[in-house]
Parts: sequence; structure tokens; C-alpha cells
Amino acid sequence: MSLNTKKIVIAVIGLFFLGALLIVGGIESNKRVLGKKAYIKVSSSSQNCVDCHTVTSPSLIKQWRDSQHALKGVGCIECHGAKSTDADAWSHEGALVAVIVSPKDCSKCHANENEQFQASHHADAAKIIGSLDNVLAEVIEGDMGALALNGQSPVAVNGCWQCHGSVVKIMENGRPDPATWPNTGIGRINPDGSKGSCSACHSRHRFSVVVSRQPDSCGKCHMGPDHPQKEIYEESKHGIAFKAFKQDMNLSAQPWRAGIEYSAAPTCATCHMSATDELPVTHDVGMRISWNLRPPISEKIDAKAIQAGEHVVPWQDRREDMKIVCSKCHAKNYVEGFYMQFDSAINLYNEKYGKPTTSIMKMMKAGKVLTATNFDEELEWTYFYLWHHEGRRARHGASMMAPDYTQWHGFFEVAERFYMHFVPQVRIACEDKIRRGGEVANAAKQVLAELDSILGRDEHKWFLGKMTDDEKDRRKIAAEEFKKRYAQ
Amino acid sequence: MSMKSMSKKSKLEKLLAWAKVRIPVDVQEMKTLTNEPVPNHLKHWWFALGGTPAILFAIQIVTGIFLLFYYVPTPEQAYQSVSKISDEVAFGWYVRSIHKWASELMIVTVMLHMSRVYFTGAYRKPRELNWMVGVVILFVTLGLGFTGYSLIYDQLSYWAAVVGTEIAASVPIVGSLAADFLRGGPEITGQTLTRMYLFHVVILPALLAGLVALHIIIVRLNGVTEFEFDEEKKLEHKTFPLFPNHFLTEAILAILILYLLTLAAIIFPAGLGEVANPLMTPEHIKPEWYFFASFRWLKLTNVYVGVVGQIIFVGVLILWPFIDKIFENKFPKAELSVWIGFIGFTFYLTLTLWEALV
Repeated sequence: MSLNTKKIVIAVIGLFFLGALLIVGGIESNKRVLGKKAYIKVSSSSQNCVDCHTVTSPSLIKQWRDSQHALKGVGCIECHGAKSTDADAWSHEGALVAVIVSPKDCSKCHANENEQFQASHHADAAKIIGSLDNVLAEVIEGDMGALALNGQSPVAVNGCWQCHGSVVKIMENGRPDPATWPNTGIGRINPDGSKGSCSACHSRHRFSVVVSRQPDSCGKCHMGPDHPQKEIYEESKHGIAFKAFKQDMNLSAQPWRAGIEYSAAPTCATCHMSATDELPVTHDVGMRISWNLRPPISEKIDAKAIQAGEHVVPWQDRREDMKIVCSKCHAKNYVEGFYMQFDSAINLYNEKYGKPTTSIMKMMKAGKVLTATNFDEELEWTYFYLWHHEGRRARHGASMMAPDYTQWHGFFEVAERFYMHFVPQVRIACEDKIRRGGEVANAAKQVLAELDSILGRDEHKWFLGKMTDDEKDRRKIAAEEFKKRYAQ
Repeated sequence: MSMKSMSKKSKLEKLLAWAKVRIPVDVQEMKTLTNEPVPNHLKHWWFALGGTPAILFAIQIVTGIFLLFYYVPTPEQAYQSVSKISDEVAFGWYVRSIHKWASELMIVTVMLHMSRVYFTGAYRKPRELNWMVGVVILFVTLGLGFTGYSLIYDQLSYWAAVVGTEIAASVPIVGSLAADFLRGGPEITGQTLTRMYLFHVVILPALLAGLVALHIIIVRLNGVTEFEFDEEKKLEHKTFPLFPNHFLTEAILAILILYLLTLAAIIFPAGLGEVANPLMTPEHIKPEWYFFASFRWLKLTNVYVGVVGQIIFVGVLILWPFIDKIFENKFPKAELSVWIGFIGFTFYLTLTLWEALV
């Protein structure tokens, strides 16, 4: 090859090289649509939203930019875009949008997650509306009249519905009624008829799994005096380990399987939702739960469905799935032993307190010893505290290995409520009705007879001073042992 | 010539004279020294292969420095920083892709250059030592590939490092010591990453630069192998100038390489798998392709035989000029070296393809 030919070859390849560099420049500029962060693609209609909202609500845009959605080209219109037939559609800067992004919208991409969620108890959380709890929020604690917001009790609007979900109403101007929105309650009834709110756990606009896997996410609602699951978890070894080794939890991993991507501790999501090497992820949080500890008398989670003639996954299968999760950290015997301990606590609560108090209350209501109005008599508050607050604390404490919640916040207070409040108040109410005579007096006598029969059972006898000789002996030996052991 | 330009020239001359006193180098002597005529056979492209790894090495140094601006060698941040280079840093994906593809091409061209040297018998007296330097260059290049790959810290990279250091551990006597030294302990930890990083950006590049310099100096001292193709026999001039003729050949290669690397970066940009997870062994652990043959060999034999076999192979490769001499003396006409080379090369390719296909 002559020198000149070589020079020509260099020129020709050089031109090709420059051409390739131009392509490199093109790729680079396409990737840098939004300036700072590359790889964020956004449709032209969403770009208008981004341009404006970067000024008006910059954090919202920043959060979205840090999301997987942004990286995958899911912009504003992809979720907020609406059809003219949508009840909540309104024209905003030339685009037809809806403020509320419902699970139906999310299901366009996340169909499986939505299907699982719709079958869950979470999706039905708004069923509380019309329940006993809601009477408290709407009538007893709150007001639906002059003190209401658009006819709704501020207690329900700000309290109950923010966890359970509101029924979103759309006003004539196409915007949601402020009494029903903002709301991210997990069972929200959306204008499109769908149930739920994905942002209840996933939060806008970053939608990070790190957030939804945090116990704090569940703790927004699962806390407080009536169902302190978050506090119970924190008291348990599980929560202690999580706090100590949070940095090892690999919370953003995908997939996120106990014993594979992380092994330091379980969170709520680990046991109730997340995948293992054997189980898939589920958005139906009840799929690994065997007991329903919510009502006055605990029942197996499939009991209601069986009563209604529906076919659901039996509680035994759900428990087996939970055991699979447990087995990622615990040996078989340990898990079996735990379930025996847990079941014994639930059985004790049901038999000693749940069933007797509920049957007495039913008798008193039916016999008109109590009025038809709920919560107008002290005994109704006592009963409510017993099962709804203290009874649940005892049961939930046992379910998630928190000894103090089981004992002092739980069974101790249940017992105190039962013996020191419930029993005397039943007696006073019945004796009052007996003094007054009439048909109600007969009902009251039957209630007292039932109460005496309950207190006459082995587990309550001590209260009547009728402890069996065996039990007396056992107590005596225990007291002596105690003195001897601790030299008191 | 005007007075003005004369005064200008004299100023330049003055400057050169000033410099010559302080840097006593004879320009003419340097020209002769660096511009030795090279034999005609170098006009064949096959004989320009030796220059290509050097060109690629230069590309690696430049792109490597750019990557160093952003890479963070800690287990917590290594993966994120590579991801940042790929996704956020301006032209980061391009620089990283060039670095990746140049590393692969560097290994290919070193191997091709060695094959050329082997099959043309250019390792024979008096060039035995340079062959040995070349073999060491090959292993340093492979070492750069291995350490560089482990820095990415995604699943495959992490587990390739695990397998690689475990292979090192199976070497008799010094193996476990060497593996512990590489890893900074019995397991892959943050220490390992620091060590891989140090090897990749300081020790091995410095070693390679020294070896390449030594390699070229020895070439210059020995002269390029005298080799004559039939059609060259009738040519009047047995040589042609290094500059500009051979220099332009290398320039064509350099620009062609840059072009091809850019195309590779555009079509197959360097990817990034899942972040390294020491708790989860992926289903298919594989080293980089250039270790496929070694990996397959180890799978076929037991670890001990596999490793000892490879040590023997490396020994034979390094000492080949002397072994070849023995063969040549015993069987002067058998051209055993060609057959052994052919069988060896085919064996390497077969093992590589086998591992690639399963």
C-alpha cells in the first residue's frame, strides 16, 4: 500500500469514526432529556407536566425522577391521563387528567398485584363505614350536622377514613369533594368503582419498595391502643433485629427473599407478603394468616367465608405458607412450638373472656336489659375496651411474640376489665332491672344466672373464693419454691 | 528572505541551542535510533498485530483514567458508581463501553500476535527472552481483565471473582496463601475489592507498561525478525522506513480500532447485572470468555490435576523456545512446533467454545 493510499484510507476510516462519534453524541443527548439524570425518558405530553411542576411542586418531580417509573418511561400522563367518560376527568392545561390514580389505573401494568390486592381484606377496609366503629366517629365522637365538613364527620374524614379509605365523591366541577379526598386509605372506593389505593403502602411519587417494606409503612394504621401491631413488632425479637441490622436488609433488592437477598431480620412484609425461594410475592395480606383476631371472639380466617358458602384458601394452607416463611430462619420444631403457644393464648382468650362476655352482652341486648342505643351505657364501653383494645393487644401480642403486650398490656388488662368492671357492671344493671320488675326483670335474672354459671367455671372459680384444693396446693408449693429460690 | 523572518529563525535557533545545552540529545541521532528501516514483510497486515495491543493499552489508560474520576472501590458504592457512570455521567456509558470492548480486543490481539510470532518461529534464537517477556505480558493482560471485571461488583462479576480466587487457592503449596493475599482474607470482602482495585489501576498497569517497554527495547536491540515473502525477493529495497510508512499503517489500525470500538459501544453498550449478593449464588457462574478454556478444563478434571495441568501448560509456554530447540535438534525436519501449536490452539478454542455453548 502506497503512502498516499494509506493517507486516503486513514481519511476514509477517520470519516467513518467521526460518523460513529456523531451517533454517540446523539445517544448521549437523547439520554439526557431531563438534564441531570440520564436514561429518564418521558413522553412529550408528560414533558409539559414536568416542565411546569418542576417549578410549582419541585419535590414531587424530584421524587418521581428517583423512581423506577421515571427510569422505565412511565411519566405523569401514563398514570394521571383520563378519558372524557371518567367521572373525575378534568381539563388541565390542555390535557384531560384525573387526580386520583386508582388500582384500576395501576393494573394496566401491575395486573397480578391488583388481582391479589382486590381479593384481600385490605381492599375491603372501607366496609367499616356503617360499622360500630363508624358510629363512634360519626355520631358519638363526631358530628354529621352543623360541625360536619360537607355533611361528613371530621373524625371520620381525618381519622378512620385515612386508614380504611373514603368513598370518593366527585363534585360538579369534576374535582373530588374535600371531605373524601385527599385520602390514601387502603380500602378507598374510587370514582371508577375500584377499591383501594396503592399509594397507601407505596407512597407517591417515588413508589420505592424500600418504603413499602418498612414496618413504618404498615405502622401508619396498624398501631395504637386497639391494634398495636407496629409496637408489638418493635417489642419482638424480629423488630429488635430489624432496628439493629437495618443496613443489612437490602431493602431495595428485587426480588427480595428472606435467606437469599437478606437474612438479618423480617419486616411485616417479609412474613405477610414477600417472596421466599418457595413462595411468590402476594398482595393479599391474609394469605398466610390463620386466625382472624379482630372480632370479639377470634375465629379462623376462613370461617366467615365458609359460613357464607364461599370457597376460599383454607386456614391450614395459609398457616403452612407462613411456616415456609418462618422456616427460612427457624427450625421446624421451633415453628411448631410457637404455633402451639400462640393457639393456646387465643383459645384461652376466646373461652375465658371473648365468648362469655359476648354471650352476656347479646342476652342483655336481646332482653332489653341494655338499651338499643350503642355506647350509651358504661357496660358497653367496658365490653368494647375488653375485646377491641385489651383483648386484641393480648392476642396480637401472642401472634407476634411480644411478651409485654401479651401480658401487661393484654391479658392483665383484659382480666382487670372483666373482673373489676364487666362483672360488677353486669350485676348492677341486672339488679337494677330486677328491682324495677316486669319482663325485663326476668331477662336480667337469666343474665345473672348465666354470669354465675360462667364464674363457677374452673377458670373463674378463684374470683368467688372457690379455688379447688388442688389449685390451692399448687399455689402454696409455688410460693414456697419462690421463697426458697430467691431467699425471701 | 526578509530581515524579520531571519531574526525569527535566529530566535528559534537560539531556543533550540538553549534546549540542547540543557537536554543534550542529538536530534539526528534520535531520528536514526527511532526510525530504523523495517523489513518489507512488515507491510503485511498480519505483521502489524504486535502494535495493536499497544494501541489498545493506550486507549485503556485514557478511558481508565476517566472511569477513575467516578468509580468508588467500596462494596457499598462500587456497583452504584458503575451504575452512575453508565446512566448519569456524561458519555460515561461510552467511555465504559470502550474500556470494556478494548479489554476484550486487547486479549484477542495479544493472542493473535503471539500466534503469529509462534507460527513464524519468531521466538527462536536470539529472541527467546522476548518471547518469555511476551508470555508474561499475556498473563498480566489476563490479570487486568480479571481484576477489572471484578470491580463492577454485579452478581456475575462478584461470583467470577469468587471462582477465580478459589481456583488460585487450589494451586498446590502456595495456592491458599496466594488466594488469601488476593482476597485479603479467606472470603471476598471489602478488602478484596480494594486489592483488586489496586492491582487493576496501579500494580498491573505499571507492570504492563514496563514489560511493553522492555518488549519493544528487546525488539529494537534484536531487530525485527528477518523474514522474506517470495514476492519480496525481487524487490530492490529490502526495507522500508518506519516513519512515515509503518507509522501510517499503525495509524490506520489505531483509527480502525477506535471506529470498531465505537460501533461496539453503540450496538453492545457495557451492561450491568444485578448488584452483587454474597448470599445468593447465581445459577450459572461463568468467568470472562478468555478464562472459559481454563474453567472447562477444571470442570473436566479434578481440581488438583486441573490446576497442576495448567501450571505445566504455563511453564511450557514460557520455556517454549528452549523446548522447541530440543525438538528441532532431535527431529530437524518434522516441523513439530507447527503441529504442537496447531493442536494446542485447537484445544484451547474447543474448550472455549464448549464452555460458551453449555
